[in-house]
Amino acid sequence: MATTMLLLPPGGWLHSSRHSTAAAVGGFGGRGCHHHHGPPALRSEGACLHGVQPPVSCALPPWARGRAMVMLQAGLCPGLTAEMIQLLKASGIRTVVDLISSDLEEVAQKCSLSYKALVAVRRVLLAQFSAFPINGVHLYEELKSSMAILSTGNKSLDTLLDSGLYTGEVMELMGAPGSGKTQVCLSIAASVSHSLKQNVLFIDSTGGFTASRLLQLVQFRTEEEEEQVEALQRIQVAHVFDIYKMLAALQELRHCMSQQVVCSGGPVKLLVVDSVSAVVCPLFGGRQSEGLALMMQLARELKTLAREFGLATVPTGIKVELDIGGYGALEERPVFMSAVVFSSKTNPIELVYYVGVLL
Amino acid sequence: MDRLRRERHVLGAGRARPEEEVAPGPTWVAPCRKPGSGGRAMQRDLGSLPLAPALRARLVGAGFSTAQELLEVGPCELSKEIGISNEEALETLQVIRQECDSDAARMGGDPTSLRTCTALELLEQEQAQGFVVTFCSVLDDILGGGVQLTKITEICGAPGVGKTQLCMQLAVDVQIPECFGGLAGEAVYIDTEGSFMVERVADIATACVQHCQLIAEAHQEEDHHKALETFSLESILSHIYYFRCHDYTELLAQIYLLPDFLSEHSKVRLVAVDGIAFPFRHDFEDLSLRTRLLNGLAQQLISIANDHKLAVILTNQMTTRIGQSQSTLVPALGESWGHAATIRLILHWDNNQRLATLYKSPSQKESTVPYCITPHGFRDVQPPPPSQTPEGSEMNPRKRPRIEEDKQ
Repeated sequence: MATTMLLLPPGGWLHSSRHSTAAAVGGFGGRGCHHHHGPPALRSEGACLHGVQPPVSCALPPWARGRAMVMLQAGLCPGLTAEMIQLLKASGIRTVVDLISSDLEEVAQKCSLSYKALVAVRRVLLAQFSAFPINGVHLYEELKSSMAILSTGNKSLDTLLDSGLYTGEVMELMGAPGSGKTQVCLSIAASVSHSLKQNVLFIDSTGGFTASRLLQLVQFRTEEEEEQVEALQRIQVAHVFDIYKMLAALQELRHCMSQQVVCSGGPVKLLVVDSVSAVVCPLFGGRQSEGLALMMQLARELKTLAREFGLATVPTGIKVELDIGGYGALEERPVFMSAVVFSSKTNPIELVYYVGVLL
Repeated sequence: MDRLRRERHVLGAGRARPEEEVAPGPTWVAPCRKPGSGGRAMQRDLGSLPLAPALRARLVGAGFSTAQELLEVGPCELSKEIGISNEEALETLQVIRQECDSDAARMGGDPTSLRTCTALELLEQEQAQGFVVTFCSVLDDILGGGVQLTKITEICGAPGVGKTQLCMQLAVDVQIPECFGGLAGEAVYIDTEGSFMVERVADIATACVQHCQLIAEAHQEEDHHKALETFSLESILSHIYYFRCHDYTELLAQIYLLPDFLSEHSKVRLVAVDGIAFPFRHDFEDLSLRTRLLNGLAQQLISIANDHKLAVILTNQMTTRIGQSQSTLVPALGESWGHAATIRLILHWDNNQRLATLYKSPSQKESTVPYCITPHGFRDVQPPPPSQTPEGSEMNPRKRPRIEEDKQ
């Protein structure tokens, strides 16, 4: 029996919204989502495992989609019963991955289950849990139609960023204390909210959000009070001060967006997080590696939000000195990828577009 | 026969007949799931729940990945699955249930509620809340009205420049009644260096009360006189809650226990930590631990400031950074600490004159103003009368000049 390679979706959710979506793997350009048009069909034993897959069945319970690490439970697919699960668990097979990667003949013998039944179940599980490759041309077409570029309101910054903030991307600002990161965040929020009339979510974890300063920035752009009030109303502010609350807030945002709940005029188009390092830094140091895990989780949440919902996200960070796994000297790096670097106060602001995938 | 039955079971339409062939032991049948019943809150990844790392590693090793899977299992099964005691399993489930419940409650009836508020509401709140005045009007101006509530203000300076004086002044000023433009609040003073002198606070408080009395006489209003009845030296001193911490453990404990104290004393509007650098600068071998503790402390302070609507003041020491050819005086505790404070004020000397520079602020410009310290407290600089002889220039500027100047 040939072993089949599972393409695991990188943390993206398979969920039934208007389109059934699946996340593609990095080998195809790293861009997350694509849409399958057409009615979702239920595939069972006849599923073909190689080449392009038909769309995934939307009959999966929402908590199980996109997660191949899910435990085997009755009702996951037709043919998987409680007794089967009991017997599989007795021989150490608990999750979907375990079942699919094991040798079915051995399992059939050990658990005294029918080989045919196991093969059938495995096919169904593979069809339900694997990700789909996508053609590069389709991906490009889709990106052209779904991506938007948000201007930051500042011409030179726009030029540096190749005409603005791209939705679906995460841009990180880093800099020394007092160099102006919060000001840039505030002015981008003001510009997007006023000039582009889009909703903005500002997650503040340092207490640096001052509404009166935001008002000043908006007043600089328009004199009319009506517009100022509207612009301020489009900016939602959430105060979270530790990592778990921030993760909860991001997951709530994801939930709101996936339910397509219209919040006062439109979906959020820009997410500003000021700053990620404030919540992540208390976890570094000491001998626990939990800090890095939580940081990766936060990064994953931000990227998923950006890619799935077409948000432009802007977290800010400081130069974090990370000792990654003890590989020698401490390194100074931005916390996430593709950062715009702000230098210290003494030099004029030099913006360097740093393209590097840290994760 | 059994096998045949099972096969028919499997290849059939999947009608489960749980009454047959129920295996003994922990049941692993998934309960019927009502779609949408707190569904999303349960999908939280285990990594995002506040559990101990060892426990989390065991849960992941046993195959659990979301909160919902955990909640379906009872504590006995959980303890058997991952090999922990019953009490631990119960605790873990309680923690997770609390988290999910609070999520669900937040999302409750209104699925859009992210516990956010719009910038407009925040603006109204900010305009309604007051500031803590410093009695030095130029300093108040550059700060935008005084020390702001819900923010952390850090005061750095060389020894002897006036940081503790400013803290004591603010602890008195926060108690000024509202009709005089104050906040009528109370103050918490956490002292790590032992530089708090009650006699000095008494002097400052007396001067403050006299100042208010002068205003009341000038304006002759009803509520001024009423407020002055309760605003006296004894009441001021009795509303400053003083804590003395001798090392960093005590400081950390004090700050982490502060929310409980504040929930009993809800009128507190100022928390002053005099000397946050001192316990962390000596006897600390593990620098990464220091950074971690400091950052955790900063986050705790900002969350206290935000939840209880109070101002947090920290004083910091200075250290020398040695560059290639010169050395500069910079605030202590490193660069990562620089991000902790929202507003940074650096006090320094210029010959005989004390200056305050606003170094970092989200809403005000950088600027430098002079101030001076008198027997009455922190005050503006008055232009010196032309007859004064320049005797001060012979004195060492680092020593506190005992100038008797009459101020209001």
